[in-house]
Amino acid sequence: MRHLVKFRSLMFVFLLAGMSQFFAACSDDDDPVPEEEYNGEEAYVLSLAYQGTDGNFTYYTVQFDDVMSGSLSAVGKGIDQLGYYSYNQIDDKIYATGGFELTDIVAMEKNASGQLEESGGVSSFANSLNDVIKGEDGSLVAIEMSSSSDVVTLHRIDAETVTVQDSKTTAVSNLTDSIGPSYSGMVQTGDYIFVSYYISNPTSYATNSTDSAEVAVFTYPGLDFVKVISDDRTGPVGGFGTAAGLIKDGNGNVYVLSHSNPANGYSKYTQDAAILRINSGETTFDPDYIFDFNEVTDGKTTAHMVYLGGNKVFVEMNTQDRSEQVAWADGPLKPAILDLGAKTINYVEGVPEHAGIGRKLAASTLLDDGYIYMVVPEAESLFVYRVDTENYTATKGAEVQANFIAGFFKL
Amino acid sequence: MRVLKPFHIFFQLVLLLLFCAINIWAQSVEPGWVKGEVSSYNNETLPGVNIVVKELGKGTTTNIEGQFEIAALPAGNYTLLASCIGFQPFEQKIQVIAGETTKLSLTLKEESYLINDVLVTGKSATRRVIEQAYQVASVSTKDLFNSTADAKAVMNRISGVRIQEEGGLGSDFNFTLNGFSGDQVKFFMDGIPMDNFGAVNLGDLPVNMIERIDVYKGVVPVWLGTDALGGAVNIITNRREKYLDASYSLGSFNTHRASLNGAYTNNETGFTIRGNLFYNYSDNDYKVWARIVENNTVVDTAWVRRFHDRYQSASVKLETGYVNKPFADNLLLGLMLTANDKQVQHGATMNTVYGGIIRNSKSAVPTLKFNKKNLWREGLDVSLFSAFNITQSEVIDTLSGVRYNWRGDKTVLTNNNGQASADGEFYRTFTTLDEQELNSQLNVSYALGARSSLAFNYAYNYFHREAFDTEHPDNIDNRFPKSLQKQVLGLAFKFDPDRRLSTTVFGKMYHIKAKTSKEFDFALETQRIEEVQNKQANFGYGLASTWFVLPELQLKLSYEHTSRMPMPEEIFGDGLFVDANPDLGPEQSNNFNLGAEYRFKLYSIHQFAVGSSLVYRDAKDLIYTVVTVSSPKTHYDNLSKTRVVGFESNFMYKWKDIVNVGANVTYQDITDRARRIYNESYTGTGWQQNFHYGFRLPNKPYLFANLNAGLNLADLATPASTLGFNYYLNFVERYFLTWTELGAGNGKYVIPRQLSQDVELSYSWKRGKYNVSAECRNLFDSKLYDKYYLQKPGRAISIKLRYTI
Repeated sequence: MRHLVKFRSLMFVFLLAGMSQFFAACSDDDDPVPEEEYNGEEAYVLSLAYQGTDGNFTYYTVQFDDVMSGSLSAVGKGIDQLGYYSYNQIDDKIYATGGFELTDIVAMEKNASGQLEESGGVSSFANSLNDVIKGEDGSLVAIEMSSSSDVVTLHRIDAETVTVQDSKTTAVSNLTDSIGPSYSGMVQTGDYIFVSYYISNPTSYATNSTDSAEVAVFTYPGLDFVKVISDDRTGPVGGFGTAAGLIKDGNGNVYVLSHSNPANGYSKYTQDAAILRINSGETTFDPDYIFDFNEVTDGKTTAHMVYLGGNKVFVEMNTQDRSEQVAWADGPLKPAILDLGAKTINYVEGVPEHAGIGRKLAASTLLDDGYIYMVVPEAESLFVYRVDTENYTATKGAEVQANFIAGFFKL
Repeated sequence: MRVLKPFHIFFQLVLLLLFCAINIWAQSVEPGWVKGEVSSYNNETLPGVNIVVKELGKGTTTNIEGQFEIAALPAGNYTLLASCIGFQPFEQKIQVIAGETTKLSLTLKEESYLINDVLVTGKSATRRVIEQAYQVASVSTKDLFNSTADAKAVMNRISGVRIQEEGGLGSDFNFTLNGFSGDQVKFFMDGIPMDNFGAVNLGDLPVNMIERIDVYKGVVPVWLGTDALGGAVNIITNRREKYLDASYSLGSFNTHRASLNGAYTNNETGFTIRGNLFYNYSDNDYKVWARIVENNTVVDTAWVRRFHDRYQSASVKLETGYVNKPFADNLLLGLMLTANDKQVQHGATMNTVYGGIIRNSKSAVPTLKFNKKNLWREGLDVSLFSAFNITQSEVIDTLSGVRYNWRGDKTVLTNNNGQASADGEFYRTFTTLDEQELNSQLNVSYALGARSSLAFNYAYNYFHREAFDTEHPDNIDNRFPKSLQKQVLGLAFKFDPDRRLSTTVFGKMYHIKAKTSKEFDFALETQRIEEVQNKQANFGYGLASTWFVLPELQLKLSYEHTSRMPMPEEIFGDGLFVDANPDLGPEQSNNFNLGAEYRFKLYSIHQFAVGSSLVYRDAKDLIYTVVTVSSPKTHYDNLSKTRVVGFESNFMYKWKDIVNVGANVTYQDITDRARRIYNESYTGTGWQQNFHYGFRLPNKPYLFANLNAGLNLADLATPASTLGFNYYLNFVERYFLTWTELGAGNGKYVIPRQLSQDVELSYSWKRGKYNVSAECRNLFDSKLYDKYYLQKPGRAISIKLRYTI
């Protein structure tokens, strides 16, 4: 009798224990996704960002054969990177910078069996790299520039080994008397590196000096500071996070974009929006060149530029006048193509007006065979759009199962 | 003796006659009192025993010391009934004499109506806590006094609790209870909230100052008046009346821990003085596996000693007043002074290494404790606990342009003009935080009879914070202090229809008033500073029920709809990166526990306890920062939902007092239940699909277990000596730092399975007066991690000397 009571009581306790098995069983669903065989062909590579409910992001860089149909997701595939990352494709590698308390630069490339593989991660910097661009000698050029720091550091990095070849640190006081220069763009052409910035208070984000465009000039490959060039035909260069203040054309000319958009981090604007030019080999603004947005686009501005070739630039125009823009919104946007020579604009038809993410458009769009591939957020989902840059039309493609994309590449 | 006996009987008779005479004379004139103490056969005092005078229907319950008092009874003969769950009901004839206090000592016999060989076992304080209807884990530190463990280490062995540490002594940690952490779990010391106890770190509190730690899982009794979303922890400090406990330990990494605890009480006058004093120091220079960076290049990965992780903390706590007086059972004034000083070795990961960042804080906490049973009328018990906490803390990062690597090499960032950069190592700052907090807990309980009682709680909390950063004097945060006033009202009704069944239903009301100031119309003529405030109220309710199916088999069911009210930072933002959200509401959760515990003895020497419980938490409106990809600005919103389905099981075996074995295992599946997430500005609506819906939350251990075994040999070498050996094993299944369902799963973000083992050997002689112990933690020098690969100490050895009276 007494043993029976004990037995029954124990059974009851174990019954509760058994229920845990049920929960354990429910949570096992690790099915491996079979990999397709590599046939040597190039594939699209997307860096997909997933937002956690805690606000943190994880990035997954995934290969896709087809981006024009079905849906694209990172479920069960891709290289994961935790933290805040930026991606840039330079030649046959994708360089990831940033991370969770990391200041590394990591390369991703295809291995012999066609799978993406990470390499690098052996360089570590005092502060996060703001941008990585291609140097004309095949090196990478990277920059550390933070509005809360009093120094700017340029690095020349070996593209193959991803190790630092040279670094030079310049006092912010050489660039400006104000505190808080924020990085907005960089190109390397000929013997020089051009770096654009705008003044933004590191604590309030107020942009108190908006009367002229300023670009710092450094030597290349020496990375030594030369001078700051300034032009008061327009306002400060570039904006928050878009890294599109400077672009380079096929001849080594540098185009300098000023928009002073409230939607891209400006608390005020005092000059008209314009694009200026620094001619190849020069370190001064071309006084005869100006792309005046008031004249060409009726005052509408863009914070994003991707150079297409033949003086043409792919842009995302903000459809609102600066006076109507919502602070920090980076939108609403509509794609268009500017001709910097003819000073014309052609809007792309077939892409809905959409919100922006305030990141580098050159990284999140792919120029391939006369087409621009981009990802556009609609009501609650994202879709790939393929833009025909000749005919200014677009075709809707696959649904992207991610919260935003940080990179659109082809390897 | 024989000679005395006739005299003894005669004396008793005389007394009886005398008392009867007085009784007759006094009956109509003056009332009498009954005072007493209830204990078990094992001389353990029993709290919570219902005492009723049968003829009058008057009653009370015993306090935590097992004492009771019934006042103002008309003189006469009565029957006193005492009843308590798990004990046989007790009846005793008493005589109340006018103008006098009848003192009684009642002994209750444990219920054992079924089985003959189940011996009556005295219930320890922890056992009595465990037998409450709440899902509570209670750990007595009695057997740990010779160990170098601290409050944190003790709690980490409790099922459902996981403490993720960032390093060695004094390191920051994340306390997780059934998946809830941070502000969602509230901490108390002797019933006083210690949310903002500033300088007091759980890792500082030595076991010798603690009597026991109670962990309430999910459902929190009203007397701990608070807005806890996922549970509460109450640390009960030593409260013996007369004792002295002095100890000192020396261990690896130049770790010193000293503690002195004592109390003196004058039984005649009721005057009492109690004190706790401790000092902790460690260089924490244990070896870690870290990458070495030189000239922007990772040149090596090597075992290096931590070089900037010294920690020290000290505390003095004194309490004095009166106990067991007519005006109060306890009236104590206290003061606690605490300070700590910490070097910061790295950030949230070990990728960033610092050599100059320092944090320190100091606080003074005056306290008042008052409680009285039967205040004004019988059965009306009142207690008031108050603490005022003044804390000042500093965060210092003022090295200019300095960068360290893991070898401790220092480089200075120099610009093209040859000057050192003024940048801090992380963010240049010298921030001083001044915080004041007032906490008061008023508890009133009233016994409605032998079977039911009412309890009322009113908790008041006022918190005020001011920050100033001398390196950035213009920061908006410097100018606008924030304050929060929080009030919690609780009402509980406890009903015990039968000795084997007890149910408590309760309701709680929360009210907050948060205040700050803000600047409007910056740089305009209308620029002005205005006070802004936010008021909100919310309700919670719940139930806790227990049923002794058999004296040894207890079932428990508890449920609470909980809330965690938002903090001022969450409502008002910081004026810089974080915008205000005046509509921010509380985090809410439905917490449910179902448990069973079976405790029995076999052949009177084998003692067993087996228990298991199911845990279910359905949390919504969790407060998270809204991400705005295109902007550096964010704000807080009630966005997230999670669900916890978990299971906990424990086992204990004891052979006489010689061998003990215990184990517990926790499995918790914490999943994301939000269908959509909010990502300001990127999509047309701001809403996006949550691609993690149904996935297990990353960076939260989901399967962990503890095992302990002990051997106690008494009178081995000399009489009244004890040789003890203890073994502890801690197991954490591997877990992931990212969502496992996404990505190819290359193992980059995995915290591997961890197993750590600790051993302790102790020897006490002269009945525990002298104690020497040696222990080894992480015996096999396993690589242990927490959070984002933060390495914890390897093998550490320590010795401890302890003296008690």
